Amino acid sequence: MSRAFDWLDKRYGLTPLVDFLKHKEVPVGGHSMVWYYLGGTTLFFFASQVCTGLLLLLFYQPGEATAYESIRFITTKVPFGWLVRSLHCWSAHLMIVSLIVHMFSTFFLKAYRPPRELSWVTGFVLFMLALGFGFSGYLLPWNELAFFATSVGTDSMKAVPGIGDWLLQVLRGGTDVSAQTLYRFFALHVVALPLITVGLVGGHLLFIQRQGMAPAMGTHVARRGLRFFPDFLLRDLLLWLLCLILLATLAVSLPYGPGLPGVEWELGKKANPLAPAYPGIKPEWYFLWVYQLLKEFPPHILGMEGPQAAILLVSVMLGIWAAVPWLDRRAQRDESSTAFSDLGVAAILFVGYLTLKAWDIGGKGLKVPDTFAVARATSIITVIVAAAIFALRRFAYQHRFFLLSGAATLQIALHGFLRVSYLNAGIVSVLLIAAGFAYLRLRPGPSVPPRLGVAP
Amino acid sequence: MIALALLLAAAIEYSAPLKQFVGAVGKDGKPVLTQGQLHTLDGLPEHTRELLSTAIDNQIIGSAKHLGILLSVDMPAQSLALVAQDNCVLCHTDPGNVKARSLFSPDPKVSNSNPLLNLTEFVNDTHFRQGLSCSGCHGGTPKDESMANEIAQRWPSDPGLRHADRTWIPGFCARCHSDPAFMRGFSPAMPTDQLVKYQQSKHGTLLLGEHDSKAAQCVSCHGVHGIRGAKSRNSKVYAQRIPETCGTCHADAQYMAGYKNVNGDPLPTNQLAQYKLSVHGKALLEKGDLGAPACNGCHGNHGNNVAATAVAVASFSQACRTCHPTNASLFEASKHKKAFDEHQWPACEQCHGRHQIMKPTDALLANEPGALCFDCHAKYSKENLACGKTAAHFKGALTQLGEGKAELSGTVEHLAEAGLDVEPLTGVIGELSEAVVQTRTRVHSFDQGTFDSAATPGLETLARGRKLVADARAEHGFRRKGLLMAIGSLLLLASGLAFKIRGLGSRASDDEKRP
Amino acid sequence: MPDEGCPLKKKRSRRGFIDIMLGLGFMGSTASVVYPVLRYLKPLGPSGAQGPMKLTKEDQAKLEREHMLIVRSGTTRILVFEDGQQKLRALDARCTHEGCTVQFVPGESLIWCACHNGKFDLDGRVLSGPPPRPLAQYSCTREADGSLVVNTDRKKEEA
Repeated sequence: MSRAFDWLDKRYGLTPLVDFLKHKEVPVGGHSMVWYYLGGTTLFFFASQVCTGLLLLLFYQPGEATAYESIRFITTKVPFGWLVRSLHCWSAHLMIVSLIVHMFSTFFLKAYRPPRELSWVTGFVLFMLALGFGFSGYLLPWNELAFFATSVGTDSMKAVPGIGDWLLQVLRGGTDVSAQTLYRFFALHVVALPLITVGLVGGHLLFIQRQGMAPAMGTHVARRGLRFFPDFLLRDLLLWLLCLILLATLAVSLPYGPGLPGVEWELGKKANPLAPAYPGIKPEWYFLWVYQLLKEFPPHILGMEGPQAAILLVSVMLGIWAAVPWLDRRAQRDESSTAFSDLGVAAILFVGYLTLKAWDIGGKGLKVPDTFAVARATSIITVIVAAAIFALRRFAYQHRFFLLSGAATLQIALHGFLRVSYLNAGIVSVLLIAAGFAYLRLRPGPSVPPRLGVAP
Repeated sequence: MIALALLLAAAIEYSAPLKQFVGAVGKDGKPVLTQGQLHTLDGLPEHTRELLSTAIDNQIIGSAKHLGILLSVDMPAQSLALVAQDNCVLCHTDPGNVKARSLFSPDPKVSNSNPLLNLTEFVNDTHFRQGLSCSGCHGGTPKDESMANEIAQRWPSDPGLRHADRTWIPGFCARCHSDPAFMRGFSPAMPTDQLVKYQQSKHGTLLLGEHDSKAAQCVSCHGVHGIRGAKSRNSKVYAQRIPETCGTCHADAQYMAGYKNVNGDPLPTNQLAQYKLSVHGKALLEKGDLGAPACNGCHGNHGNNVAATAVAVASFSQACRTCHPTNASLFEASKHKKAFDEHQWPACEQCHGRHQIMKPTDALLANEPGALCFDCHAKYSKENLACGKTAAHFKGALTQLGEGKAELSGTVEHLAEAGLDVEPLTGVIGELSEAVVQTRTRVHSFDQGTFDSAATPGLETLARGRKLVADARAEHGFRRKGLLMAIGSLLLLASGLAFKIRGLGSRASDDEKRP
Repeated sequence: MPDEGCPLKKKRSRRGFIDIMLGLGFMGSTASVVYPVLRYLKPLGPSGAQGPMKLTKEDQAKLEREHMLIVRSGTTRILVFEDGQQKLRALDARCTHEGCTVQFVPGESLIWCACHNGKFDLDGRVLSGPPPRPLAQYSCTREADGSLVVNTDRKKEEA
């Protein structure tokens, strides 16, 4: 073993690298340890996607007459084909769940502050790529659900200003969703996105390896560390094993998903472009919030078409999210930045509420549920969660900034309990935020930053 | 509003008579014609508006209100053109001109007029749309500006008088409808034998022979002012509406009191209720299967033959045979045919019933009292002991097939949810369904050999299905076991790793402890 | 060394046990992953994904004898027959009324459903009886080697 190492070392100078790795440490301390593993689990699920995807690729044939049939063939005739497909579908959803939790944990721990801005940005792009994977992969079975979900999803591209129509046609390979769309999505899903993702993941990991994982707020260098090799890595591997056990159990016991709308992948009927869309069609769960937001906008608003305005809003929100390392001045100075923690909570409430609403919770299972009944039921749930988070932050972490999450909760409450339209309630909340910021700017006396060391 | 109306009038350039009505204002100061009616008026072709204008000029459209009523009925422009040229309709739709009992209105209930004078129905009447208007039946011409007395006398206003003698109606309709040369000009494919058939039917003999005006004639089923073709969903003789049309009289016990059938028993009035419970009734009325027979499917349209006379017995089974030929031909080749003929029993009806034909169940075949076959044989065919065995064989096989199919169908959903491939099983269940149908049909041969030619393959299919289910269950078990084994190894590996990590930790602390 | 003895020996045997656990666990886990993958990779017999369906020799012989054949493809039943001009035709064998399997009546050049006396012409169009819709057509071709192939994708409507 060591002879092989010496052989390589003489040629490539591996010793400095090995020394670096031997002494690499992961910051330790506090409750934040647990969150450091989430990036690894996301990577694990991605790796499982690549492996199961490669296996599926051996039998899958894109094409109007063959896509559906080949997947039926895999799940019925190929030995363990059902398992490979089930693993691929479950792993996709678990990867996105892990990614979202990873994203929020790094956000709340403010791991994006200097010098780690680019880790955040690459992570953001990876998030977008993961959504792209989900969207493109969804069409590949060419079944009814996929076909209509893709039609509805690509339709929203029209709303992009200027290049909207062009973008729609390029994505679809035509004016309607057809076999051409299937070929393009296949190329995206199997070659384009994987290449870009692998590159970006490489970059993301390189940054982390080079800089080390972000320590807790208030410290530049960790007081104590856990050696990356072998301690952290072994723990990482252990967690990956547990993820594998979870994945395998889910794949075998629930081969078609947990049975929630937007999280099911029974093969069903083959796509028929001439058939009308069936009621209750919904996109995948991670797109539900955009889908619901589009429904809340009227056909025309502020001189734009409703969908355009909605897409614009979403783009602005995502832009702010991506730019957070530069916006959060206090974190840059290593000061407690409760305003941005609040922003994170507001984001969770905003997206969570829309997602619950899109699931028609409180609609009593009707085909066309009463929107206000749904709004009320989901508002109750979200307000309770918001209250719990508020209590946690106020009493456990002594936060004092609740303007953004409060405004989000206000919008939800106005819409759900007082039947104010979602948009109007939103305008009220925005005004509240503006008033709040104006007050903060204009109030007399310097703002005293909280003591260092209090957890953000 | 007036200004707008005048503006609109100016834009479209109404003729003077129209302009006058368009701008008319009621006693309350509001315009008589509503926005909707004005909109309809503007949407009309130029010549239709001219016709209206002429009618106004001739004072046949008597008021703006009258014009409004005409414009408020939902009809295509060509129908309005027909109306505008027909003085009969124009006069009779004017509330200022005729009394309520003679008023043609869009909704008789609202205007408290004769329910037969429904303008909305009338503009959809097929005779009207073909150009045969009031004058075609009532006399006079559409251009007449007043009504001759003899026209009024033809249809006495007293309903009692009107219903007293309806014997003239079939002959009246037949003036045109039994004239092939005449009908060819309107509907060449329509039959012209209705009167001949009717005269030989029970309704015909009652009405024309015994002068019983309670019996049904043309108007009873087809209506009078809103007649539509049988293919129209709104027609009283549309397939799905026929049971209720016939039932208007035949389900009314009071109305049918006094009528007797061939044996002297009073005519039953439960046929409609029975029919609604039957296979045919459910298929037609609930499933919408227009292939299922309504009353006319078996009784015929104009020559209904209901008498269960000896002559008619054979004819009755022929009615069933139109749609169920296999059962009929099997039956005719069977032993029962001779026996039934001797007893003068109608073939199908004897076992399956007449109006309440239910889906046959295997209970009919049971070899015990209460079952149809057993009871009949106990009474009429005691010496044929082999029949009991045959019946038992039939029932046994059919029960097996039926229960087997239910058992397999029950498992399909389970297996599909568990992620197993159910397509071959679904195929087998389809084959089994068909085997059941074929086997049941072959019961009518009352011969074990013929029956087995369908039952045996059916049972083989059932066995195949059961094997598929067993295989699927085995596969499911295999998957479970495989998962447990994999999890076992993974957990073993995980625990080893966990201990290793703990060990590392303690070694690290040992290292730290060492000086 | 004086500190040796019991604790270190215990540690060693514990380490040995852990190593065995690791070893077994690793082998078992690897087998759990490798076995399905290997079975997955091994190519199957000639039956591939659904699509064109080749008729077996027995089916072809039956077709020649009885002038009519009913084959299954998944849950679809297909009626294959030869029309008056020796041309091969294939129609969906499921009657559009209640789903019974139809049959070919060569003497009268029509397709007949025994359940409720529905009749179709050789193109699948309804001639009489309760069926509400025509039978779907499939294309049936004779290959170069004389075998018959039925394409289970619906034939496109001819303009």
